[in-house]
Amino acid sequence: MQITLPQAARAVRRPHAPAAIRRLAASLGGEGVIGLALLGAFAIVGIAAPLLAPYDPADFSGAPLERPSAGHRLGTNDVGQDILSELIVGARISLAVAIGAAGGAVLLGLLVGGVAGYAGGWLDTALMRLVDVMMALPQLPLLILVTALLGAGLGQMALVFAALFWPGMARVIRAQVLSLRRRGYVAQARSFGAGPVYILRRHILPAIGPLIVFGLVTAAGRAVVFEAGLAFLGLGDPTAKSWGLMMRYALNLPGLLLTDRWLWWLLPPGLCITLLILALNLLGIGLENHLDPRLKRP
Amino acid sequence: MKSRFALTLLSLWAVLTLNFLLPRWLPGDPLAALLDPDSSSYVYNAEVRGALEAYYGLDRPLGEQYAGYLTGALSGDLGRSIRLNQPVTDLLREHLPWTLLLTLSALIAASLLGVIAGSEAAWRRRSPVDRALVVVSVVASNAPVFFTGMILLILFGVELRWLPLAGGRTPFARYDNTLAQVRDYGAHLLLPALTLTLALVGSKFLLVRNSVIGVLGEDFMLVARAKGLPPRRLKRNHALRNAIVPFVHHLAAHAAFAITGALFIETLFQYPGMGRLIFESVVARDYPVIQGVFLVVSVLVLGANLLADWLTARLDPRTQEN
Repeated sequence: MQITLPQAARAVRRPHAPAAIRRLAASLGGEGVIGLALLGAFAIVGIAAPLLAPYDPADFSGAPLERPSAGHRLGTNDVGQDILSELIVGARISLAVAIGAAGGAVLLGLLVGGVAGYAGGWLDTALMRLVDVMMALPQLPLLILVTALLGAGLGQMALVFAALFWPGMARVIRAQVLSLRRRGYVAQARSFGAGPVYILRRHILPAIGPLIVFGLVTAAGRAVVFEAGLAFLGLGDPTAKSWGLMMRYALNLPGLLLTDRWLWWLLPPGLCITLLILALNLLGIGLENHLDPRLKRP
Repeated sequence: MKSRFALTLLSLWAVLTLNFLLPRWLPGDPLAALLDPDSSSYVYNAEVRGALEAYYGLDRPLGEQYAGYLTGALSGDLGRSIRLNQPVTDLLREHLPWTLLLTLSALIAASLLGVIAGSEAAWRRRSPVDRALVVVSVVASNAPVFFTGMILLILFGVELRWLPLAGGRTPFARYDNTLAQVRDYGAHLLLPALTLTLALVGSKFLLVRNSVIGVLGEDFMLVARAKGLPPRRLKRNHALRNAIVPFVHHLAAHAAFAITGALFIETLFQYPGMGRLIFESVVARDYPVIQGVFLVVSVLVLGANLLADWLTARLDPRTQEN
């Protein structure tokens, strides 16, 4: 086939785009790439928060309830703290809870799923019944009960999320372990003298690596939703001003909705939560396609 | 189906046991503070402490407490609210209908919208309308319900002043006739139900759209079209029928999500349902009520899941085999 000029020009213009990145972008599809880009933006804001935030969000840097101005781009809250700084530092809290919860949930899921898949027998049955029961429980009321009793530090919250989110991961990992065992190439590699590190790297990781990434992303998405929701209900960590807690405090001001203050106090944290959840879910859709091209949406 | 029933019973037992154990395991129970020597509100008078323990039955062995709790819960005794000094069961009975009204009306509205929009979008896939609907539904189902609700509240309640801001009915209102009463309840229901509908409709829309697109290329569709069937029958009797089984399964499984959403929405709109109850109880650390809400919501969710499995099995005999 003859290469047309625009195609050739495009190939010349981006000679250095690493093949791995291009392949990833192609397999993630439009949704996945948008999600990844959005998530990356939030991660950068979260990491560089102290540099980006114009003030310390805990400082009383202005008069109470200032309107947006050059000094305070999004105005100040009811005690005179800079809202933009709160918003920027708030990214850290959402991301920290998400990372902690997702990491914990995936580790637990790997452990339980791996054990169930390898051990089989009654242990497998018992663990899978536990998974069934846990997935049938309504999570929000359970979370409300536990956080109300336990008190809500950020670390505790991440732990509780992890303890609640692992069953889905365990089920997927168990299925994959069973399929690996059935196909038998791992046993064959071992019989050829392959060491455990080699088998892990060459055979196990490629098989469960994508599942781990997918599990991380979905658990992180749910953690963000629940953290924001609990904070909104007043069950969050009162010392960590997350986006949900900002909204709670804003709504606590009587008559807030009757003025235009909600435009810079309520809308930005709400949009941030929405965009972060959207980013994680879009990335999840992209990864799902990557895992199984047959699922690709028509 | 038998195994699903067994799983439901097992889950119900798990809920009851968690409800019993969690307050005993975790710190933060107001009573625990009175009995814990390390706490600042420790009751030093041993006699008073003993009386407290005996009153709440905490001096008996754990097994006996558990048995007492189970028999009480199964006969409808869920304890008394600390805040209101009322039986928890009465409070639940008062608030549950509001939540059911909100959840069911939103589920029905979202189902109708999802089916209509989903099948239309599938027939016109990749058209601007289809693309716009996909984007809107993805965004709407990702936004937290309390945020969507807030936007709607500001728009319709504050700016346009079309609808009441809060509550389930006009306080102290006397209704001349049933119609006036229905209108008042409906006006208060509209915004919360709309919020929940928006949160629910996205995934239903995508599900119907994708199921319908999935069958468009099938041979039986070609045959039906070749027979000269009018497009209406083609859509309704051939394409949509294939979406029913996944849709019904999704609908009941979505009940858990709907009830969760309703809890937030009721808090925001001060709608007098279970969400409002749990929010006020959390603020007052009224544990018996929080536990009661957890139990009732669990029963609702478990029941909905069981119903989903039963309906799916009835609609699609193939699933009965395994």
